[in-house]
Order: sequence, then C-alpha cells, then structure tokens
Amino acid sequence: MRDHLELFLNGRKVRVSGTDAFRTAANWLREVRGATGTKTVCEEGDCGACTVLVGTPRDGRLDYVPVNSCIQMLFQLDGIHVVSVEGLQLGSELSDVQRSMVDHHGAQCGYCTPGFVVAMTALRESGAAVTGREAREALTGNLCRCTGYDPIIEAALDMTGGHGRSLDELYPPGPIAEALARASDGVRIDANGRTFFAPHTLRDALAFLAANPGAVIVQGGTDFGVQCNKRGLRPSVMMTLAHLDGLDGIAIENGALVVGGRATLAALEKFTETRVPALHGILQLFGSPQIRNAGTLAGNVANASPIADTLPFLFVCEAELELESVRGKRAVGINAFYKGYKQLDKAPDEMITKVRVPLPGEAETVRLYKVSKRRDLDISTFTAAIRMTVAGGRMSGVKIAYGGVAPVVLRLPRTEALLEGAGATEALFREAGDVARGEIAPISDVRGSKEFRSLLAANVLMKFFHEEIAGARVAPGTGAR
Amino acid sequence: MYVGKNVPHDSARGHVTGESVYVDDIPHLANELQVGYWWSPVARGRIRALDLAAAAMIPGVVALYTFEDIEGGNIFGPIFQDEPLLAPGEVSYIGQPVVVIAAETREAVDAARKAIVADIERLTPILTIDDAVAAQSFIGTRRTISRGNAEAAIAAAPHVVEGVFRSGGQDQFYLESQAAIAMPDEHGAITVHSSTQNPTEVQDVIAHVLGLSQSEVVVVAKRMGGGFGGKECQATHPATIAALVAQKTRRPARIAFTKDEDMIVTGHRHPFQNRYRVGFDDSGHILGMQVDFYSDGGAFADLSTAIMARAMCHAENAYYIHDIEINGTVCRTNSAPNTAMRGFGGPQGVATMENMVEEIAVTLGRDPFEIRRLNCYGTTDRNVTPYGAVVENNTLPRIFDELVASSDYVRRRDEVLRFNRESKTRLRGIALTPVKFGISFNTTFLNQANALVNIYRDGSVQVSTGATEMGQGVNTKIAQLVADELGVELSAVRLMITSTEKNNNTSATAASTGSDINGAAAIDACRRLRARLADCAARLLVEGEADPSPSPESIVVREGVVFDSRRPAKTMTFGDLAHAAHRHRVSLGERGYYATPLIHWDIEKFSGRPFLYYTIGAAVSEVEIDRFTGMMRVLRSDLLMDIGRSINPGIDRGQITGAFVQGMGWCTTEELRYADDGELLTHSPTTYKIPNIQDLPEIFSVAWIDNDTNTANVKGSKAVGEPPLLLGISVWAAAKQALLSVAAGRGVPLGLPATIEEIAVQLATIESV
Ligand SMILES: Cc1cc2nc3c(=O)[nH]c(=O)nc-3n(C[C@H](O)[C@H](O)[C@H](O)COP(=O)(O)OP(=O)(O)OC[C@H]3O[C@@H](n4cnc5c(N)ncnc54)[C@H](O)[C@@H]3O)c2cc1C
Ligand code: FES
Ligand code: FES
Repeated sequence: MRDHLELFLNGRKVRVSGTDAFRTAANWLREVRGATGTKTVCEEGDCGACTVLVGTPRDGRLDYVPVNSCIQMLFQLDGIHVVSVEGLQLGSELSDVQRSMVDHHGAQCGYCTPGFVVAMTALRESGAAVTGREAREALTGNLCRCTGYDPIIEAALDMTGGHGRSLDELYPPGPIAEALARASDGVRIDANGRTFFAPHTLRDALAFLAANPGAVIVQGGTDFGVQCNKRGLRPSVMMTLAHLDGLDGIAIENGALVVGGRATLAALEKFTETRVPALHGILQLFGSPQIRNAGTLAGNVANASPIADTLPFLFVCEAELELESVRGKRAVGINAFYKGYKQLDKAPDEMITKVRVPLPGEAETVRLYKVSKRRDLDISTFTAAIRMTVAGGRMSGVKIAYGGVAPVVLRLPRTEALLEGAGATEALFREAGDVARGEIAPISDVRGSKEFRSLLAANVLMKFFHEEIAGARVAPGTGAR
Repeated sequence: MYVGKNVPHDSARGHVTGESVYVDDIPHLANELQVGYWWSPVARGRIRALDLAAAAMIPGVVALYTFEDIEGGNIFGPIFQDEPLLAPGEVSYIGQPVVVIAAETREAVDAARKAIVADIERLTPILTIDDAVAAQSFIGTRRTISRGNAEAAIAAAPHVVEGVFRSGGQDQFYLESQAAIAMPDEHGAITVHSSTQNPTEVQDVIAHVLGLSQSEVVVVAKRMGGGFGGKECQATHPATIAALVAQKTRRPARIAFTKDEDMIVTGHRHPFQNRYRVGFDDSGHILGMQVDFYSDGGAFADLSTAIMARAMCHAENAYYIHDIEINGTVCRTNSAPNTAMRGFGGPQGVATMENMVEEIAVTLGRDPFEIRRLNCYGTTDRNVTPYGAVVENNTLPRIFDELVASSDYVRRRDEVLRFNRESKTRLRGIALTPVKFGISFNTTFLNQANALVNIYRDGSVQVSTGATEMGQGVNTKIAQLVADELGVELSAVRLMITSTEKNNNTSATAASTGSDINGAAAIDACRRLRARLADCAARLLVEGEADPSPSPESIVVREGVVFDSRRPAKTMTFGDLAHAAHRHRVSLGERGYYATPLIHWDIEKFSGRPFLYYTIGAAVSEVEIDRFTGMMRVLRSDLLMDIGRSINPGIDRGQITGAFVQGMGWCTTEELRYADDGELLTHSPTTYKIPNIQDLPEIFSVAWIDNDTNTANVKGSKAVGEPPLLLGISVWAAAKQALLSVAAGRGVPLGLPATIEEIAVQLATIESV
C-alpha cells in the first residue's frame, strides 16, 4: 500500500504526502508549488479561472481533459499528469493557443486568461474543426468579465503561430504513463486525523466502507469540493474510486441504458449523443465541460439535490439503482430512493455501482426541460421530464416528473392520471397545469420565487403541448433549448 | 508610427503564460500576517457588547482591533466624510467591518471570525428606496437640472405617459477580488500594494487613519484583475485595514477577499427608482419631460452624489428636449455603500429615457426608432443639453441612419412582428438604442494628470503615470503615444508600475478618462524631452562641419533613428543620441502635466460644460423569448460607434465588446437578491449570473465610423471604456418590444434586469388580461 500520492506536474514527477494531499489542487499549486498562474476566483467550479488539464493514463497514452482545480482535492489526482498554464510553453515560445490569445486581444485584465488558455488547449487537443459553436461549447466553463468573449472566440478560431506542439509532443506520454503505474494494493494516507483511501478493487472499496461507515465517497468531487470550500464540510475519512477497474462502463443492454457507478457525465454525454438524444440535450446544459469531465451520474444521483438535472429523466424512465455492499447487491427504483431532502434509501456501507435506465420506445415522446436564469453553467430553477405516447390524438403511458418544486424530485400522479387516455387538447393541458400546481410545494429561494416555480409547473405543460403536440411553428436553429 | 495600430496589450504575454503577477500572487513574505475582518451581521443596529476573548485565544491569532485602536481618524469619504473604517458602536449594513483580525494563517483568521461574539441591538433597517423616502433618509441634497417649463409643456401636450422605472444593482464582478499587502517601512512609514484604481485615494485614507503624513505612505498598484469602478473607492477599505495591521504589528500584512466576501462587503452599481412624466404630440415629438431620480446610495456617501450627477446629465440621452426638469435624490439605506461601476449612473439615466421612448411609441402605435430619430439632437441647432453644454460635432443622426441601413432594421422589424403573430411558442423583439456619453469627470478638478518620462542612456524609456492598468490597455496606449512622440520604437518604451511615489495627487483611473488625461500628460513630458534632444542632435549632426548650422527644427526622430532632414543620409540612433545628451549634461527626464481644457461645472446650479466631448454610438439588438419559461437568447446585435480616431483598434474593439456584454448582463441575468433582513443572497457566480460565452449574441457585429473631428482630445481619439456598456440597453429594449408586441397596445412595466422570472411573470400578466 502506497502512503503518498504520485502524480506528474508539467512533466515532472511529484510525490505528495501528509496533509498536502487534502488541499485542493488549486491551493496546492498556488501555495505549495508557487505556481500562481492558476487563479482562484469562486472556489466552486463556476468561473473556470482555476482550470487545469488532467491527463489520465490509458493504454500507455494520456487522455487530457480540463477540470476545475479549485474543487479537486489533490488526492483525487493520484496517478494523473496535471498540466497547468505554466506547462504550455516550449522554452520561451508560446503555444499556438497562447499566441492567438495575444494576437486577438483575448486577454484584457488577464485574470481569467490562464483558465481560458488551458480550456482552449483542450479544444485544440481534441483535434476538432473549430467553429464558433465548438468554441462556445468548449469555453462554457470559463467566465470573463472584460472581453465580452468575442476576442476569445476569435483566438479559438485561429490557434496558430506558436510552437505548434501538442501535449503529447511536449510531454511524451509513454514514460509518464509508465511512471504512473498504479500501486497494486491502493493508496492510503493518514494525516492529521484524516484518512484518504484509493482502493484498487471493488472488494477493497466495499470492505473499506463496511469498516468505515462514515467514509465519504469522492468521485468527481464537484459537489463534494463545493461543500468543503463553502459549507465547511470536513469529513475525516474519504475514498475515491478512480483506481478501480470497471464501474466506468456505459452500454445499452436489453433496451436499458446501463451506466457504471463511476462513469463520468462527459462519457455519458458522448455515449448518448446519437443513442439517447433527450438525455444528451440535458447533459449539454449540465454545468460545463470541466464539471462534466469530473462529475459522475452516480454522484448526481447520490447527492440527492431536488434540482439535479438528470433526475427527472431517471424518474420518468423508472430507472433502477444497483447498490452494493459487503452484504451483497440490491436494486432500488429511483422513484423510491429519496425519502426526504437529501435522505436516501441507502445504508452507509452501500455504494451505487450501476444505474439502469429502461429506455422509452421509439413511438414515445420524452422531453426534458431545464429552466435556469442563465441558460448555460447554471443550477436549475425548475426541471421537468414529460413522457408519453400520443397516438390518434390520445395520450397514454403518461409520466411526469418535476424538480425544484419540493424537497425531492416529484412524480405528478394526479396530473398523469388526468392526461392518461385522454385526447390532447389545449384546454386539457391548461387544466393539467392547474392540477400540477396543486401537486407541488415550491419554495422561494435565490433562484426564483415560489410563484414563479408554480407558474413554470403549469407553463411547461403548455410548452409540451404546443411544441410536441400542436406542432406549433418553431423557428429553426434558434432553439432556446 | 504606432498610434492607430493594433499592437497587443503590453501584458498579454504574461497573461497567457500565467506569469503576470497580481497582488495575491506576490510570494508570501517571511513573518507575514493574514488579515480579515469580522463584519456586522445585521443591517442596522447598536453593538451593546463585543466579546473577543475566545477569538484571541485561537492559536495563530496575533491581534484583534476595533475602532478604538485607530490612532488617526476613523471617518473618511471621497466627497462627504461620513464613513467609519471600523464601526464605532453603531452598525449600518451587513458586511460593515467591525473587528480586524490578524493571524498567522487564513484558517486562523476564519476561526477567529467564527469565535467573535457580539450582542447587537437590532434596529429596523431601511432597505428600499421607498423606506428611505418615507424616513426622509438621504445623502446630500436633492439636485435639479432644469430648462424651460417642463410642467407647463407636459400639461399642454396632447399625450402624456408617466410611471416609475426601476433598475437593479449590479456587481462589478472583477475576477480578482479586492486584495492588498501592507509592509512597514522605516520610521513608521508604510508601503502598500493594492489592487486599486485609485492609489492616491488609498494613500490619503491610510495616512488619515494611521495618523501619518501623505508622504509617509506609498501606494503601489501594478495591475488589477479587473476593476469596473469597484476599485475606485472600495479598494481603500481592505488596503487601509492591512496598513493598520502592518503599522501596529510591524509585520507585513496581507488581505485578500474571497469572492463571497467581496460581493457581500462591497457596494454595487446603484439601484434606481425613477418617476417620470413625458408629454408628446401625435408625431412623437417630445414636448416636455420631468423625471425624479432616486438612487439607493447605501449606508455611506461614497461616490453616490457624483454618480447621481452623471445620471442626471444623461437623463435625456440622445434627445433634444427643450422643456425639461431632472431631479436627483440619493437615498441613505442600510445596504453596503453603493459605488462606482462602469457607466457611473449613466446607464440608469439612459435606460429610464429609453423606457419612456418605448412607451411613447406604444401609445402612438409607432416604431420606436421613428421616435428616436425624430427627437435626436441636431447637428447645428437643437444641440444644447439641459445643463447648457453644446453637443459639438454631433454624429448621432449619422450613426442612426447608417446603423438602420447596415443592420437591415426596417425589414427585420417587420419580420419580427410577423414571427410574433405566427409563433405560439416564441416571441421576438428588436430595438435600436443610442448612447451619448459625456467624457471627463463631472467634478472638474479631477480632470488633471501627471506623467514621468525617463530616458536612459541606451535610448530605452520608462514611463510612469497615475493611470492604473486593469486590463483596459491604458499602458499600451500610452506606450504607443510616447513612442510616436519621442520617435522611438515601441519596444523601447516600458510602462512602469503605478506608484504614488512617482506620480502624486492623481485622479482615479475612471470616467473612461485614463488614456485621455494620462496620455496627454505623457505627451507633454515627451514634447519637452524631444525639444531638448533635438537641440542636442542638431549640434551633434553638424559637429566638425562648417555648414550648415545646427537647426533643431530640421531634426527628425523616427522609430529610433535620428537625422537632420536637410541631410538625411547622416543618421544616428536614438540610443547614441541619449548617450551623447547625457555626456553633454542634458536632462533626460521630464514630468508632464495635463489639465483638461474648456470644461467647467457649476455644482450649485448643475449647469456648465462638464464634458470635453461625447462618445456616441447605437446598437440594434434582436432577442427571442420562450413564451413559457421566459428564457431569452440574443440572436443578433449590431453596434456602430463614433470613437474618433482609435489609438489601438484591437484594444478599443475589446473595450466595446466587453462593455456591451457587461451592459447586457445588467439588463438580463445579473440580479442581486436580498433576504428580508438585508442579507445579500447572490454572492458568488453560482447564484449571481454574469453573461457566459454562450450568451454572446449569435451574430455580433462591431463597427465604428471614421471621424477625425475630435481634435480636443489626444490624437483625435475618444474614450471608449464606459459608453458601449449603455448599448446593452438595446437588449432590454428588444425584450420590452417583444412583450409589447403581444400586449395589444397596453404598456408593459418591464423592470430591469429582465430576468427569466421577470419576463415570465410579465407574460403571464399580459395573458391574464
Ligand atoms: C459549477 C457546477 C455546476 C454544476 N452544474 C450542475 C448542473 O447543471 N446540473 C446538476 O444536476 N448538477 C450540477 N452540479 C452538481 C454536480 O456537478 C453534480 O451533482 C455531479 O453529478 C456530481 O458528481 P460527482 O462525481 O462530482 O460527485 P461527488 O461530488 O464526488 O459526490 C457527490 C455525492 O455523491 C456521493 N457519491 C458519489 N458517488 C457515489 C457512489 N458511487 N455511491 C454512493 N455515493 C456516491 C458522494 O459521497 C457525495 O456525497 C454542478 C456543480 C458545480 C460545481
Ligand atoms: S476558482 Fe472558479 S472555478 Fe475554480
Ligand atoms: S480578461 Fe479580465 S476577466 Fe477575462
């Protein structure tokens, strides 16, 4: 068992032991390594100023993705090559991304710039042909207050004129991947009353949970990190699943989407693009690339937020969770999983190993809605999923789930019953809106008043009716998704 | 020549490599203390008792200070001196500093903050403008700009609309939160690195609070990670608190706000609540207008009265209104003292006007653009503002006409109206709004600057001014001006760190004037240096020859090469010239000075010529709204501006796109929400939503006209920092248009910001009628 972290930073091997392992990566870079190019602004994943690239060894290669280093604990980065803004130059030569950012005035005050440069490097690495759309998608996780983004997009459309090297050319992956070979019996660090454990097998993981009922599983850390930074969470025992073999698969089996307990949202986004477009649409609006690269579906489910974006879909698909512990496996329907605000039908020694989502049939319509103050990189004010089959003007198999209107995501049985088997008319949907309003208990908070949420509960049904049933004229290409 | 060229920002390379150093990037000094403070948790109250014993016991806590520990003056303020650095018994807003905490680590500061126990008698706070008016709680006196007889003109007008227009606050949301490091110097003096737009103000307040002379305080400001007005007055508090700790402990002291702290404890753009009445005829001519502006100044005066003055000077925006009365009152409330933010009251005045224009148009069933064009300031007549200044070289009519054509406004408006008749799910709106933004500080004496230009013996040049670099590119522009003026290569000119040690008694880098006044001061220094060097070169270039005789007038210095135009074949380098000049005992340093000419302002009568010139522009924006959720997208924005002769087109373009998007944010997604007790709930980007890259208009075009008439300003340029922010109002107006198009001729009292909730609720109201 290894008692320290091993990672690479900008091509150099680093060994971290003791309490430093429990710092956030951003804090470690700035305060311990003196690498102050990485900025922290919000410390909660919402601005991207702290973006770094994390390269995960896979079959002798390194797969780089951008993540928010402010909500990554350093222990999450064991076995990773971290590339920060300082690692992109070749001697004194700027990279292509850096050069274009200079030439196109992509930096004004410069405080957001390292984050943009790193996120844009990931875009360049992807090798995709870049249009304005790709540039915007790739940079959704980065805020800039100075430039109005336009010069940054221009830089992203150019990305030439620098040293021209890819990350693999700057940092040949073979030796790094080799040097990062995982410790076969895991990593465990005990320091200052805190313990971190990275098991190598599921069996070790379950045994650890059984032995440490208070242990917190940290996956992407996109909820965990925010809770640590902003809400004073400071658990003494933590476990990551990053070194497990398996549990990261995504497949369609017998008409069901089966997602492994540690599959990332980014992987799911890619997988669903052609196979489950409705879910893909909502994943594209989920956080930012940085968040989706780190965050997992299981984390979204286990975090139990009533405004978790994937939940309404899982509810109307009547998804099943596979929970596993040393005592064995069991399945729980998602509709029965949440007992109250952040209360789960899950024992402390259990973990989610699979999410199984029976997919709707071809003839069914499923629509997912996310209403948020800002379309992108925002937490929902209200979410909804509406599923039904409309044949000959009649509705059947009606399933409706709303989020953001109660302490947990709700199914709306009375509204479903009203629509079930009925003819789809505007008047009926209007009535359904009234029924729906009676089934929810929204509160006023920073993201919207209860009146607004109640209005949305009705309006979203009208939106479904007009867009999906009445086939109202929808202008192409401008969808306020 | 470099002026007019698109050269990169002088810090760009450091920005993209991460090498640029901001205050909190300065490596920790040995012995350094971390500083924070405990602030008032109640909006208004009296501290009965403060128990610091537990906090003092926390390991690592070194010192705790209250107002009683201040040796100099505790009360300060840029206009009125009404603000305590540390609350003396009475607390006036949530976030007000009460106890300064100095500790070995940030963790210890946080722990101490939690350990402080206070017994506070809660008093009923004033949290809204209505509350303040009811309680007659004001800052300064009500001011008026008046011309003709507005009352009578409105009474006689065929149509009148009236109402109340509300605009919300806005956080500056610079990415680099406030930060400062104070270091004790010998003999009690202090040096402070501050992320400030206003080093002189920081210096003044530190001297005042610490009981030092101004000469004993040096404030250094290398760069900011954004300012937007938020560091004009309010960088002062953290810097002074750090200085207090440094003075008392004789140890370096660092303070760096988190984003949450920063948003809670500092003030924002002022919310306004404006009552308006406007009379007009059938054709849409505005006959008379009366407005009563009320702003939420927060607990202390800060710059509120100056901001109100600018709001009032922009109340009529681009329109000539002969009979007009503009009143302005600043309310004292129990929120954090509201302060400067890009636009400085201008946006609040202009949005009120543009809202009136929209309502006039609905009343008459006309395209609002026709009303705008009709009432637009004239070029030869109808060109005097309500405060008596002439709008010289007025390019508004030209910009209106060119933009309407280039944006295809007329056809697109028809299409939008057709779209709205047909679509059951979406609504569109399109609007053109103009801006005419006065350049110069309203307060005349602030319009001055000095610059220090030092030439070294190798011909390289250092320039220091009072301008602070916050990303706007002021240093780059000054370097271009200096390179041209001295005749050296741009690479030979280096802009130095801003410090009160080199440039004294400077004005804030604000009011968009940074490049104008500091650039002009640098040019002043260069001219004198050039004259001396020309004298010297004239002698050197004819040395040892009988004829011709030395002629300084024929000396040409261009991009580092010096020659006599009568005999251009014989040249020397600028470096050789500098070297020789030094040997001939010619001074190679000069201090320049500039005071903006022509301007004057009667602070009592509110009349005069407060601005040297106006920066002008207009934008057409088109939006699409989801009828069910209120979610809005900007489909297209076309901006056309008059920025004179641009010193650096790349930098100016970035100022325009950045300001526009910031203005759009103010108008749409940026909403400061408070709890009933006055606590700010939206204090991080999770809940406070500035525009994201995805919110950029899908089609975004920025252009400017060719205009070389602005000879009053440096190189015929025009300031560009703030004016385009007000073009974001076109997005709001487009949203209002969208809603009006389904409101069957009724008004729609859309507030600003037009958040999704605001839009959805307005739509629901329209439908329920
Ligand atoms: C900037 C930002 C934007 C965001 N945007 C969105 C958004 O648009 N929509 C949205 O829904 N959410 C959003 N989130 C929340 C978060 O990203 C998601 O909930 C994400 O899915 C969490 O996954 P994770 O792997 O990071 O979870 P972690 O933070 O690692 O864990 C979250 C919780 O789940 C538990 N857990 C994780 N895995 C398991 C498992 N296998 N078994 C049992 N328990 C487990 C952990 O112990 C922890 O309690 C956002 C967060 C941030 C910081
Ligand atoms: S600091 Fe804002 S995302 Fe990390
Ligand atoms: S350049 Fe200042 S925040 Fe982006």
